[in-house]
Amino acid sequence: MYILQNAFHNILRNRGRNILLGAIIFVIIIASVVALMINNTTKGIIDDYKSRFSSAVTIIPNMERMRDEAMKNSSGGRMRIMAPVIPSEQYVEFGNSDYLYDAVYRASTGLNSDNIMAIDAKLGGGGSTTGTIVSGGTMSTPTSYMFSLQGNRFEDFDEGLRDLAEGSMPKNKNECIISSDIAELNGISVGDIISFTSELAYKGETFTDTTYIETYYELTVVGIYYDATDEYNPGGQQNAYTNRRNEILTNYETVVAQMQPGLSGINITATYYVENPDMIDAFAEELYAKGLDPIFDVTTDETSYNKIVGPVEGLKNISISFMIIVMIFGGIIIALLSSIAIRERKYEIGVLRAMGMKKHKVALSLWSEILIITCLCLVLGLGIGTLVAQPITNLLLVQQIEAAESVASTAGFSGGMMMGSVVNPVANSSAQPLENIDIALGFNTILEIIGIALLLASFAGLVSISKITKYEPIKILMERN
Amino acid sequence: MSVLVLKDISYQYEGTKKSVLKNINVAFERRKVYTIVGKSGAGKSTLLSLISGLDVCVKGEILYEGTSLKALDRDDYRAKSIGVIFQSFNLLTNATAVENILLSMNISGSKIKDKKAFAYELLEKVGIDREKAGRKILKLSGGEQQRVGIARALSHNPDVIIADEPTGNLDRDTEADVLKVLTSLAHDEGKCVIIVTHSRKVTSIADEIWGINDGKLLLMH
Repeated sequence: MYILQNAFHNILRNRGRNILLGAIIFVIIIASVVALMINNTTKGIIDDYKSRFSSAVTIIPNMERMRDEAMKNSSGGRMRIMAPVIPSEQYVEFGNSDYLYDAVYRASTGLNSDNIMAIDAKLGGGGSTTGTIVSGGTMSTPTSYMFSLQGNRFEDFDEGLRDLAEGSMPKNKNECIISSDIAELNGISVGDIISFTSELAYKGETFTDTTYIETYYELTVVGIYYDATDEYNPGGQQNAYTNRRNEILTNYETVVAQMQPGLSGINITATYYVENPDMIDAFAEELYAKGLDPIFDVTTDETSYNKIVGPVEGLKNISISFMIIVMIFGGIIIALLSSIAIRERKYEIGVLRAMGMKKHKVALSLWSEILIITCLCLVLGLGIGTLVAQPITNLLLVQQIEAAESVASTAGFSGGMMMGSVVNPVANSSAQPLENIDIALGFNTILEIIGIALLLASFAGLVSISKITKYEPIKILMERN
Repeated sequence: MSVLVLKDISYQYEGTKKSVLKNINVAFERRKVYTIVGKSGAGKSTLLSLISGLDVCVKGEILYEGTSLKALDRDDYRAKSIGVIFQSFNLLTNATAVENILLSMNISGSKIKDKKAFAYELLEKVGIDREKAGRKILKLSGGEQQRVGIARALSHNPDVIIADEPTGNLDRDTEADVLKVLTSLAHDEGKCVIIVTHSRKVTSIADEIWGINDGKLLLMH
């Protein structure tokens, strides 16, 4: 007890030196508080986004490889860029994997009808090809569709943008729901049967080899939904086909029922959810082993992930680097100060030892002094660090977002001719970077900071203790006298 | 029985061949005041360092209450059994007089309940009043610091009191008071008091006077 009392008195007796030591410890603690608060908060955010973006895997054709393949097969300046068709059964086969906890399949195709009028029919129809045919400067004209048949695309209902007005959702094959706009325009009620035609294409080795096979869909309307989505995608083409009121919603099985081996015309996408982001490579290997054409990539939405989380990761890295630098330099300064302080206090130590105080008690007394100073700095550092962490985070995050945008815009102007596009179904190009992070001081962060503070105090104490063990009281007192 | 026995003690400083102390044999008893005299550099202070457990002899052994210092914890020995009054005081200069006394009591593990009151009482006994007791050591005169040193040596009620020129910085009146205290400690309280001195006045109170010459300790009176 008297050691602690003496330590308190000594802190007050040697104010100047202790204020200097305290200031350095305070700087280290405040840097650690801010850095750890940022690190721990961003870690949670990053983990969350990582599991969301990295666990959703999709199969998309690699444009580069498709182009190379097309170049190899081209003749007379003509080339066809198109992805091979993956049969729906193969998508399902791919989904049977131990690496997955879920698989979601979606399919879509274009439709026409002789009996049903589409919304905005006057604007004409649109296409739904998966490839673009380039032919020495001219482009072939694909079949125009007025409607789209969407298999298993019900996410707007979850988001509250669509809602069932009457009837029920499609459960069985050849059941569908239509928008209230189509229903009103054509006087369709729940229970009516509506007929559509579509086309499947067989694309031969050359551009002119394409043949078309007509397919038919006879669907029972089991429900009518209100639609509050935007009629058209902003900046997109506007015609009956792209008008979302003309989407006929059904289940996946209904759309792919018309699919025939080797024929295109039905777009299928599958999103596989792996148990753990680390399993993606193993899952990809499994897919290639199961017969996936190497022209396809097994990919996650890295672009969106990087866009959203990139600045946060940058912020995390900066804060930790800053903390490490401060700790290294602070540690060196503390070691030097402790070493100087102990030389100054050599006589005091000699007197205490001459009075019979044991070495370990002298060491404990010195360590207690540093510990008390560290505790005071800890309380102050935690308080002030918590206050300044949020503004510092905001400032750093803005800089990180600007840096990320600047890199993205540079990358965007890479030049070159766009040969076609394949959209990653899980990619969200409109993803916005995280602009606000609510920094909080968690229990774990407090424990980590206490750990760092104890480490600092112990480090400074060790420097002192290592010196004390070398001192013999008689020599100190004789030197002094 | 002798409280302190020096058996065949020799000492030489590190890196030198000449012995400062040669085969010293002496027994110190309770209730007696001993003075050790000799020229400067004769080895008087070295002898006190060995007796107080601050240094270790190269040959021979020191027995405290029949036990060799080698077998004792020297820190405990210094803290509890010996009270040292240094020629150069060796006080904690950034602490007050009373804090110096309290710290010594705490280190020795003193069982006294009201340590502060006891510390003030001790200081008063050597002529340091309450006001001065609360002053930092550097704010006291040399004589006052010496008195604090004496009070500190007595603070843990040791069996043996060793003093190196204890009255060198004191005026005549205070010197007389301090000597009275030291004599009383030996004769009334049964302590063994060993004083290194050049002062005739101090030797005049001694029961035995020893002299160091050429490293040998000889009984002079």
